[in-house]
Amino acid sequence: MHMSDALLSPVVGGAFWAVSAGMIGWSARKIPAEADGSKTVLMGVMGAFVFAAQMINFTIPGTGSSGHIGGGLLLAVLLGPWRAFITLASVLVIQALFFADGGLLALGCNIFNIAFIPAFIAWPFVYRPIAGDGRSPARLASASIAAAALGLLAGAFSVVMQTTLSGISDLPFRVFMLFMLPIHAVIGIVEGALTWGVLSFIASTEPGLLRTASNTRAPKSGVVTASLFVAALAIGGLLSWFASSKPDGLEWSINKVTGKEALASPSEVSHEFLAGMQETLAILPDYDFRRTDNLIAKQAAETSPVHPGTSLSGIAGSLMVLLLAGAAGIVLRKRSPLPEKL
Amino acid sequence: MNRSGIEAIHGQPRPLPIGDGAAIIILALFILFVTSIPKYDLAGAIAFAAFPLLLTTASGIALMPILKRLVITSPFILFMAAGNLALDRVPAVTIAGLAITGGMISASVIVLKTVVTLVALLSLMAVMPFHRFGMALRNLRVPTVFVTQLLLVYRYSFLLAEEAAMMQKARDLRSFGGRGKGPLVTAKLIGSLLIRTTARAERIYMAMSARGFRVGLDSRPPITIKPGDFVAIVSAALLFALVRHLF
Repeated sequence: MHMSDALLSPVVGGAFWAVSAGMIGWSARKIPAEADGSKTVLMGVMGAFVFAAQMINFTIPGTGSSGHIGGGLLLAVLLGPWRAFITLASVLVIQALFFADGGLLALGCNIFNIAFIPAFIAWPFVYRPIAGDGRSPARLASASIAAAALGLLAGAFSVVMQTTLSGISDLPFRVFMLFMLPIHAVIGIVEGALTWGVLSFIASTEPGLLRTASNTRAPKSGVVTASLFVAALAIGGLLSWFASSKPDGLEWSINKVTGKEALASPSEVSHEFLAGMQETLAILPDYDFRRTDNLIAKQAAETSPVHPGTSLSGIAGSLMVLLLAGAAGIVLRKRSPLPEKL
Repeated sequence: MNRSGIEAIHGQPRPLPIGDGAAIIILALFILFVTSIPKYDLAGAIAFAAFPLLLTTASGIALMPILKRLVITSPFILFMAAGNLALDRVPAVTIAGLAITGGMISASVIVLKTVVTLVALLSLMAVMPFHRFGMALRNLRVPTVFVTQLLLVYRYSFLLAEEAAMMQKARDLRSFGGRGKGPLVTAKLIGSLLIRTTARAERIYMAMSARGFRVGLDSRPPITIKPGDFVAIVSAALLFALVRHLF
């Protein structure tokens, strides 16, 4: 369920980065500066535990496929929301940095979808009220399954919203929802059942481990609402700023300086230059990317958001840049050889 | 977590010509510029690929482990790109009678953006050891508790991964016809791993305390970006803006 940089616009990615970074800062303040630093170490090792637990696969009955635990809800139950959020966020950072899960810009979205939702929505508003003191096996089972399933559904819904708002994918909102929600409901039920199994085992062997979270105060609903409100405001405000039909500050300045609403588009400047170069140097000077005798294709091309006239010279130019960068890198490496490995 | 996988990506740490904090900021700027490339701008995406290509070829980072990593993580991206391919069939360009649709272009841009941003990210991590990354985050005023958390997770993931792998192997050796591999037995295995983890955390904490470890939750070091680093950040931003403008 990891979002990717390539599917996000800078506005949506930046807004979720701001919300997630703010929540990390806030959670760090909420964790009391206890003289007992053992809980800090416990958090670190529990983050590593999530990685390790994800390596243990199980067979999903009746399907022939296998799966592994996600661990978000389990951490929230064991560590409480603030510590679980920090721990999950750190796991996601390491997944992004070393396993290419998502990317740097998408990290804000991933922390929101995979850490914020289980820690600050699923645990306090679904799991805790249903589970109560955790002594009833039936309540523990229904709390685990309901919280995991709803948490995953909310995360999947968030992925759909972030992708749709970014406008990179052509998948319609409804189709994307139909694809994402049913599969995540099933995954959520399996995750919940496994979480229940682990919690039951812990309750019967080391019940002391379950006390940490039960002694933690749940985040107030106002806090969660405020975080969601800030996310909505950030995205809505930034998107509407970008989508404004009136000229923005930059356009206004350009208008004052040049008398035009906008400068010649970047592609026009570079592509006229490159097209000129191409005409002089090209092996096939008469080759035209735009030329087509197909009437339907011509009509479609007129309404297409793609500007084919800029394509050939633009792509040729960017490929030249790419080749030059690769050649420059090889020359640089030969000039400054790497130190011998010890 | 696979130790060999990380070590394959984590090449040989190298000193960078700029501060680690500045390198992280430049990477973030680069990713912002790449993600701002419009949906159908293939030339822009190719042009920005020059930066990670320069970085990997100049520093001798092995590209294959990074590209293998990308292949493993790409199914969701490929699905989304395939969605564009299937849904946007309006011919945008015709070359030698072959119609190139808008979907083909936007799908290529999605895949290329993924490769460019992730190769840039993994390349930086290949030359920057994780403890240096943590120190750079501290200098950028990331809360200590979060940085300590990152360093601990990174350090102990290897140990616990080995333990988890041994437990899984032991279960598999005792399993016949897939019996004992279901969720119930797995839940007990994970529970056992959890109890071992907490016991290990106590031992680690005692060992760290004996060596003088103290958790400083409130200390805030000043942001240390040297003038040279500041010039590098501004220059990189201007260069990215120029490439974005030209292509």
